[in-house]
This record gives sequence, C-alpha cells and structure tokens, in this order.
Amino acid sequence: MRPAMEATGLGVRYRRTWVLRDCSLSVPAGRVAALVGPNGAGKTTLMHAAVGLLRPALGRIRVAGEAAFVAQDKPLYDNFTVAEMLIFGRRMNTHWDDDAAVSRLAGLGIPLERKVRGLSGGQQAQVAVTLALASRPDLLVLDEPLANLDPLARHDVMRSIMAEVAGRELTVLMSSHVVSDLEETCDWLVVLNGGRLQVSGDTEELLDGHLVLTGPDDASTAGTQVVSASRTGRQVSMLVRGAPPLDPRWQARRPGLEELVMGYLRSPESAVLPHLAGMSA
Amino acid sequence: MIWVTWRQHRAQILVTAAFLALLGVLLLGSAVEAIWYVAEHAPPGCPGPAVGCGDLAVALEHRYDAVYSVFGWMPLVAPALIGAFWGAPLLGREYERGTHRLAWTQAVPVWRWLAVKLSVLGGAVVAGGLLLSLMVSLWRPVFRAGVDSTFGNIGVFNMVGVEPAAWWLYAFALGTAAGALFRRTLPAMALVVAGVTVTMFTLFRLSDHYAEPARTELSGTVVLDDHDARLVGTAWVEPSGGEVAEPSDSGCPRRVDVGQSNKNTEVWQACLFGKGYRYVVYYQPPSRFWRFQWTEAGILALASAALGGLAVRRTLRRPG
Repeated sequence: MRPAMEATGLGVRYRRTWVLRDCSLSVPAGRVAALVGPNGAGKTTLMHAAVGLLRPALGRIRVAGEAAFVAQDKPLYDNFTVAEMLIFGRRMNTHWDDDAAVSRLAGLGIPLERKVRGLSGGQQAQVAVTLALASRPDLLVLDEPLANLDPLARHDVMRSIMAEVAGRELTVLMSSHVVSDLEETCDWLVVLNGGRLQVSGDTEELLDGHLVLTGPDDASTAGTQVVSASRTGRQVSMLVRGAPPLDPRWQARRPGLEELVMGYLRSPESAVLPHLAGMSA
Repeated sequence: MIWVTWRQHRAQILVTAAFLALLGVLLLGSAVEAIWYVAEHAPPGCPGPAVGCGDLAVALEHRYDAVYSVFGWMPLVAPALIGAFWGAPLLGREYERGTHRLAWTQAVPVWRWLAVKLSVLGGAVVAGGLLLSLMVSLWRPVFRAGVDSTFGNIGVFNMVGVEPAAWWLYAFALGTAAGALFRRTLPAMALVVAGVTVTMFTLFRLSDHYAEPARTELSGTVVLDDHDARLVGTAWVEPSGGEVAEPSDSGCPRRVDVGQSNKNTEVWQACLFGKGYRYVVYYQPPSRFWRFQWTEAGILALASAALGGLAVRRTLRRPG
C-alpha cells in the first residue's frame, strides 16, 4: 500500500546531541498511527521533521500530499475570535472547507464570536483540530492531542477525530506517552525510545505475533525469542515474540497494547521493524 | 496573508497612525496660529533681517519652543518605540506563544510569511517616518522663515528629510532580529532600546567623518559666522604658519576666568590675534545637509537589510 508518510535513515541533531537516529519507517495511507514512547524519546522531533518545522541532519522524511499539524500546546492566537481563526486558516491555505469547519464548531457548541482566550482547554483543542481538518490534509499530525485535557474532553476530542477518519481518506499520526489513550483508536503502532525506532507495524499483527508468558523462574525459554522479562519473587513474566516455548510450565496469553509497548520500552535493544516497502535500494 | 498581517499588527498600526494624526493636528494648529499672529503683529518687512523684527522673532521663538518641547524627544524615543512594538513581537511573540508552529505549518511557506510581514510592516514604518518628516518640514519654516537651521541641531536633523524613515526602519529590523534571536518579546524590546541609543550615539560621533571637514581661518574672532554649521575641531595657526592646538610661548598672559565671565579668555585671544595668530575652525557646512542625510540613511538601510537577513536566515534554518 502507498505510504502516507515515509522516513528513510532520518537523523536529527540539536547542537551535538542526536535526538533522533537512523529512523526508517513508513505509515500506510488510511491508518491511524500511534506514536508512543517516554518523554524525550524524540516523538515531537519526528513530528516536527514530518511537517517541515525542522530539517533533518541525515536522511529524509516525506509526506504524500498535504500535512496538517496540531502542536503540543494547541497554539491559537489568543486575541482572535474563533471566526477570525477560521479566516486565518482560509487565508493561509490553498484548500479550505469553511462549511465543514463552521458546522463542526456548531456541533461542538463553540461560539464563533468568542475570543480564543475565553474558551476552555477542551474547546481550544477542538478549534485547533478543526483548523487542521478544514485544510483538507492527507495526513493529520497531532502532538499529544489529549495532554492537559480532562477525561470528558479527551473522549470528545478523540471521538471527533475518529469521525473524520471514518468519513474520508485521512491518515493520522498522533503521539502520546499514555498508551491507554490510543488503545481503542489506533491500528498502527510506532514506538520510539531514546531517539531510536523500536517498533513499527500493524497493531493487530504485532499483538498476534507476541505472547505474555508467566511461569517459574527456572522454566526454559528455549524455542522462543524473549523481548523482555521481569521477575517478582520466583515468578517470571515475559514478553516474547513468535512461537511459544517448549517448556509446558509457561502460561501464555495474548498481550494488551500497553504490555507490548512496556515490554519493548523496558529493553531498548529489542526491536521489531518490518521490511519497508519500496525502500530496498 | 495581508489580512493576517493586518489582524495581528493592527494595534501597533492604529496607535502609530493615531499618534501621527495627533501630532499633525498639533503642528497644524500651531502653524496656523503663528501665521495669524504674524499677519496681525508683524511690522512691514518682517519676518526678516530688518532691525524692527526682533520682537516678532522672540514671540515666534516662544511659540516654537513650546511646541518643540512636546515632540523634541522623538528622534530617540520614536525609533525605540517602533522597534519595541513593531519589531520585537513580530517573531518574538510567535515563538513565545508557540504560535509559530501554527503559522508555519499552513500551506503558506515560511519564507512567504516572512516576506509579506517584513515588506508590509517595513513599508508602513517607512511611510510613517516620511510622514513625520513631512509634517515637521512643513511646520518649521513658519517660525524660521529664510533661516537654515536643520543641519546643526542633531535632534532636528534626525526629524527631517529621510532620517526618520531610516531610523524607524532600522529600529524595526533590529527588533525583528532580536525577536528571532531571543525568541522572547521582552528581552528583544530591551535590546532595541539599548541598540537604538548606542547606534544613535555612534552615528553622531561618526557623522564628523561623513565628509572631509571644511577649514576656515578667522582673525579677530573665534565665532564662526554660520550658526547652523557642525563644529568638528579648532586650532591656532602660529605666525610662523604651524598649526597648534594650544599656543605656547606666545607671550600672551592667560588668566583664569571666574564664574560666567569670559573676559580674561577674550583678552588673551585678542592678544594672540594682535601677535599674528589666526584661529582655525574645522566644520561641516549646512550645505552638506543632503549628503549627510543620504550617508546616514544609507548606513541605516544597509544595517536594516543585514539585520532583516539575519532574522530570515535564523528563522528559515530552524522554524520549529
């Protein structure tokens, strides 16, 4: 499938420190991709590179078509009214769907004549997302769209983004350091850790391809590929990849998304990266 | 993009326009009043160099000073304000609020955003400066008919011709560059105020060298006839033809003056003239008005271009 976003050997440096190293990934079109990792993993850097806010020192990153971006703090002009923010969007973009934006804001009950600084945090997030959607992007990049929102607003923002995805061919890349926020909505997973790419792939395939094992700590792991393990007393809990081990004392089950992500984050040297289509040179 | 520029900067634009309008009304009122006064009170042949014109000249001088004191601070303060409120927030505020990540991820590329903002606001600043210059240039002759007086006084010099436009543009560029550098508004504003002050002082010092000073030798007086000239330096020429800063072994006794009196110095000077000494004055004559105007404007325009280039380079290099 045609990738909506593709990075090849991407490396980004702030002064002498590499914040992103040797990053090659692609997100297929039409997917909702979750970009997860601890703070400082390079998520924001990767997104900034994707939308052209910074130029990589090495490699390149390409977006098919137009990208729209909502930055972490959902920046808007405080002293503009909501209607003026819409004019801003119309004047700054080649494609602009004003009707959709107006009806979307009406549906959310956000008054157009209100100043941005008079809106709640959740409403500001909705306006920022509305602006991004109204420019009819092929790729919507959202940096921590749910940070600083109360549970109800998180739910509303997420639901309204998903409604847009269902309505048309739109690829979404959104970051979070809270995996549970993304569990129900994302069908593609990208894990960054310490500036390196650890996981990139279809969520279901990844979950099907891994097992969580629990058993005594003297049980043999022969025949399986351990991603990471943690011990509690004489009990061992492991995330493994591929077939289950031969030792019958293991109890195996399918991991949850959070378990999968945590398993990889615990052992930064493990990685599961697909062969990228169209990248073999 | 033009709408965006207007919407984001309309407060500065409107305040500046209102201020210029207010100053215009004040100058117009003052000029009209002075013209009426002259029409009613002037003896025949005045204003002019005639003997009976003294009273009228003093009355006009009072009126002039009263109004001049209202805006005499402008040569320094106006550029500082322009730099602080037009230049510094242009990039500083975007970075500070994080809105640069909104503005520069729309379809309009960053270079075009910069080009439109810099040219529209820079153009407005230049227009404002020229308008100020025009108003002051129309107002002053009402009080100073037939007298050249725009060259010697640096404050007046900086308010006429192309100077205000050049200074305003320079301050705007300095503020923009400072905003790009600090990524904050307040430090950028502080830098503008300091920068404009230092630049003004430096150029004032430098202006002596815009042209080779004219040299004239005086005998019997130490006062240059041209009151609008800029004095660069003075010296004495000995009877032997050598030029010295302070005559020694001249045989003329020099006593110290006490208080406001100049008497002893004058006696000493008269003695020197009597012995064949001549007084040399190096100065810039007022006829060099436009040469100085364009030299200074050229320096400021080049500096503005360099600062603007720096701001653009800085921004395009790392927009995020």
